[in-house]
Amino acid sequence: MCGILAVLGSYDKSAARRARILECSRRLRHRGPDWSGLWVGDGGGCYLAHERLAIIDPASGDQPLFNETKEIVVAVNGEIYNHELLKAEMQKHNYHTQSDCEVIAHLYEEIGEAVVNKLDGMFSFVLYDTRDQSFIAARDPIGITPLYLGWGLDGSVWFASEMKALKDDCERFEEFPPGHIYSSKQGGLRRYYNPPWFTDIIPSEPYDPLTLRHAFEKAVIKRMMTDVPFGVLLSGGLDSSLVAAVASRHLANNKDSDKWGNKLHSFCVGLKGSPDLRAAKEVADYLGTHHHEFYFTVQEGLDALSDVIYHIETYDVTTIRASTPMFLMSRKIKALGVKMVISGEGSDEIFGGYLYFHKAPNKEELHRETCRKIKALHLYDCLRANKSTSAWGVEARVPFLDKDFIDLAMSIDPAEKMVQLKEGRIEKYILRKAFDDKDDPFLPQHILFRQKEQFSDGVGYSWIDGLKDHAASHVTDLMMANAVHVYPHNTPGTKEAYYYRMLFEKHFPQQSARFTVPGGPSVACSTAAAIAWDKAWSNNLDPSGRAASGVHVAAYTEESPVEVTDINGSVEESPKKKPKLVDGNALEVSALA
Amino acid sequence: MCGILAVLGSHDYSPAKRARILELSRRLRHRGPDWSGLFVDEEAGCYLSHERLAIIDPTSGDQPLYNGSKNIVVAVNGEIYNHEALKKSMKEHHYHTHSDCEVIAHLYEDVGEEAVGMLDGMFSFVLVDLRDKSFIAARDPIGITPLYLGWGNDGAVYFASEMKALKDDCERFEIFPPGHIYSSKSGGLRRYFNPAWYSETVIPSTPYDPAVLRTAFEKAVMKRLMTDVPFGVLLSGGLDSSLVAAVASRQLAQTEAANVWGAQLHTFSVGLKGSPDLRAAKEVADYLKTKHHEFTFTVQDGLDAISDVIYHTETYDVTTIRASTPMFLMTRKIKALGVKMVLSGEGSDEIFGGYLYFHKAPSKEELHKETIRKIKALYLYDCLRANKSTSAWGLEARVPFLDKDFMSVAMAIDPAEKMVRKDKGRIEKWIMRRAFDTPENPYLPKHILYRQKEQFSDGVGYSWIDGLKAHAAHQVTDRMLKNAKHMYPYNTPNTKEAYFYRMEFEKHFPQESARMTVPGGPSIACSTAAAIAWDKAWADNLDPSGRAALGVHDSAYPDTITPAATQSGHENAISANGFSNNPMLSNILKPQGVY
Repeated sequence: MCGILAVLGSYDKSAARRARILECSRRLRHRGPDWSGLWVGDGGGCYLAHERLAIIDPASGDQPLFNETKEIVVAVNGEIYNHELLKAEMQKHNYHTQSDCEVIAHLYEEIGEAVVNKLDGMFSFVLYDTRDQSFIAARDPIGITPLYLGWGLDGSVWFASEMKALKDDCERFEEFPPGHIYSSKQGGLRRYYNPPWFTDIIPSEPYDPLTLRHAFEKAVIKRMMTDVPFGVLLSGGLDSSLVAAVASRHLANNKDSDKWGNKLHSFCVGLKGSPDLRAAKEVADYLGTHHHEFYFTVQEGLDALSDVIYHIETYDVTTIRASTPMFLMSRKIKALGVKMVISGEGSDEIFGGYLYFHKAPNKEELHRETCRKIKALHLYDCLRANKSTSAWGVEARVPFLDKDFIDLAMSIDPAEKMVQLKEGRIEKYILRKAFDDKDDPFLPQHILFRQKEQFSDGVGYSWIDGLKDHAASHVTDLMMANAVHVYPHNTPGTKEAYYYRMLFEKHFPQQSARFTVPGGPSVACSTAAAIAWDKAWSNNLDPSGRAASGVHVAAYTEESPVEVTDINGSVEESPKKKPKLVDGNALEVSALA
Repeated sequence: MCGILAVLGSHDYSPAKRARILELSRRLRHRGPDWSGLFVDEEAGCYLSHERLAIIDPTSGDQPLYNGSKNIVVAVNGEIYNHEALKKSMKEHHYHTHSDCEVIAHLYEDVGEEAVGMLDGMFSFVLVDLRDKSFIAARDPIGITPLYLGWGNDGAVYFASEMKALKDDCERFEIFPPGHIYSSKSGGLRRYFNPAWYSETVIPSTPYDPAVLRTAFEKAVMKRLMTDVPFGVLLSGGLDSSLVAAVASRQLAQTEAANVWGAQLHTFSVGLKGSPDLRAAKEVADYLKTKHHEFTFTVQDGLDAISDVIYHTETYDVTTIRASTPMFLMTRKIKALGVKMVLSGEGSDEIFGGYLYFHKAPSKEELHKETIRKIKALYLYDCLRANKSTSAWGLEARVPFLDKDFMSVAMAIDPAEKMVRKDKGRIEKWIMRRAFDTPENPYLPKHILYRQKEQFSDGVGYSWIDGLKAHAAHQVTDRMLKNAKHMYPYNTPNTKEAYFYRMEFEKHFPQESARMTVPGGPSIACSTAAAIAWDKAWADNLDPSGRAALGVHDSAYPDTITPAATQSGHENAISANGFSNNPMLSNILKPQGVY
């Protein structure tokens, strides 16, 4: 990843302004520790600043990048996986660098704003056209890369990879919506990303395991484009194991394997003895990867919380719980000299992998919920994966969110995604089945068909307990009683949520900042709409969630990890002892309903 | 390098204090990007915080470190080159990690405070003895690693690798003097480093033996090849860095590191496009067949980095900032390549009298005294620059010329041998050149071994200094400069460039204690104040405005004085702040008009 900061239409063209932009850009330097670039145009009214993480062409690809005549300049955060294809399709251009991102400037020269639809990858960029002093800014379809948009009092428009870079200089700012383009000619935002699954139509393509498998393999292979050492984040769950299995199988055939060896590096994090560490080790042993285990203590996690919130820019409880181990692990990964990792985000959204999907009343509802979940990824898992790793200059790539793969997976008749226990179909069955190759197995059967714990559980049960205890020692009952007055927007419903909120407000006191974080009711990561799936849920949206806790019991031998929560808080009163997921049994939930 | 922060004797062990210590320690994270460690013991009254750069034992050497029974805790920034020898010489201990620094805890268990004198390396550390709740802090003999010392209002004593970590929480703070130990038992600082050359009154007389000097330097370089991560050499193409590269390149094949990282040495040089350093370094790299990396920067790149450079190097000394900036920029690129450690040539000019003003040394006694003064001041200038410019990006710089043993050898030589003798064809640093003049198996080509080098900030390209001056002239008006002595009564800047740096410094470090950590006083071309007496022309013209000294430059610097300089009228080689003007340095010898 890289960090970009652009200020367009700045009235102030002084040396002090330049110094200020450098200072703001410096706040993104963790994203791009390798070099900085600042381009100033329009007599000083236009600034494009870039902090670079060099993954492709480390020697010469410093940004901003230009077209041949240097009339078009672009600062990009991202990877354009089809850059070679695009170059081949275009008329002949002279390229200044080997950077995959340079193609954006050249392509814009040829086709203008339509460039955004042609790009296959993850990206946020700001492009300035000196020929007519216009500019565009755009963000990838799903929002794998972050981008924020703000307005200065002097009439300037600001774009930045993280809000920390613009929060102090913009009167108001907001998140730049994924799949959108901002065009100065048009004077605003419009959505450019418009895949079939954005419509109301329920898809009906029959499920073909091989097609799905090949699409995913392609998505992984694309992401192995790199000039630097890389690895895979492996929690031992289905998604990361599939990523590791495919990457490992293809590494031998990849042109980069000569450079980095044909043994895949895999990384796992957890408290000592955690379920993830065990599960990941098993997969790593099976695949023969060069596996690295990292341990952290609850205290180390607690000590990092303030940093985590500063980096990921949210007060969402589940995001912070899951980001912290990822943040700690990224630091160790970077210390080993690895700059890029492939990660399994997005699968649960596309295939309805969360346990509450067991309760989907019909295929239409399931499909709509998956669409809603994918559209919200930029607020949750994409945000977490990108910012937790970028905090240390590590780039995370997410093959499940490949444009082609999503199109394919979302065109399949959603009936195939329904959990059918009687037929032995657990969640994400069609993905599992696609890689169930008996002749040449990608993974052992029991791994391919095992249910995984949620990330923040998998790192060790005492992690969440430790967080709650820590929060309880910082937040009094009296504070909770006044929470609605102190934080009228997205009022924290638990001490844990309140504690995160306090840390967030310390770093980001602006009203605009707290509005960038989502709220609203949720059950176990569901959207608000899916709460209607179960009467027991919708009747008990009490943020304390006590009444809803019964729902989970059947799914777990002891107590529930699936907490009904307000999205800003989890069940404070839930019993201390941590639940243990029974393999393949979440479906017995039906007893409850 | 790593970053350490210790707070001892605090009464506050609340979560808020812990959070505050973490926040302060985070300011040192650039020094140790790889991991953080915090040790807290309320009973012993201590916080020991550590930000780690993992060079030795990356997988398990997280700090703080402990002795066998875990009742001695130490947070260390540094490298202990003789850790294996020490381990062998000690009784049996149980080691928790393979970190070279762990030996300090065990050694302290055995010998107490004496441990400091036994360490061979560069280091700053704070050690807490939980048995009697005492602590010590210490800094290496020359001050290769930085360390600051501060006092809080609550009676707590703070130690930190950089002052940015303690400046806001200490009522007063200062530089921790090199070669000293702070002991809670004796309640203060005392000097532990006391080599034969330390006293300026005894003039040494050991005859010069080229082979002895060469062997000592080779050993010093060899020691510094101890690493578990990729490394390289900073190569400007001058004598000092070329010798480091030549020796390292020759020895690399025999080290353990070579098996892991390959036997071809990586070398790095930086400059404006077409600069003298790039050319000179390339020539040396070609000769040594190193894997050479050239980095170019633009004047604008450098100007944009100035504020960062000052934040990191924590000084407003003009020559240090000029030279730090290219080093700071280069370091970022080196780190981007995955390299974590470099060898560098600092210290040679001080030990051998390599600065051009040494040509005017009136006697061997005077020369010797000046070299000692220069070495003792290294921690304020070149050591500070080399360490902080590289640590800004998590790169460690090792300096073989400042090896304890090598210095003992070099400083024991009769200083008559260091005198410049044109009549005998002896230019500056002649004895070092001669030591590596081995025609049967040459380290470097003759013309490189005997060429005179430009100072670092000149070598990166002449327009760098010009650019700095022009930029400063834009930021600082004549009126501002006129009021400088009221604005900055301490170490008053007397050029626009110095004023500009000072403004940036004050922005980052507004504390009185902070500005007092930076040296001042008169200087000519990097000399100490005392050496100004060497030439009457210098001593007579100590007018801070320096106009009278301009004549010196004109002849010394054949081109022109930059527009900024002529406009301001404050350009001078001799200034009240040790701010010399490098453009003249490179040529001070050539024009006879100087003499």
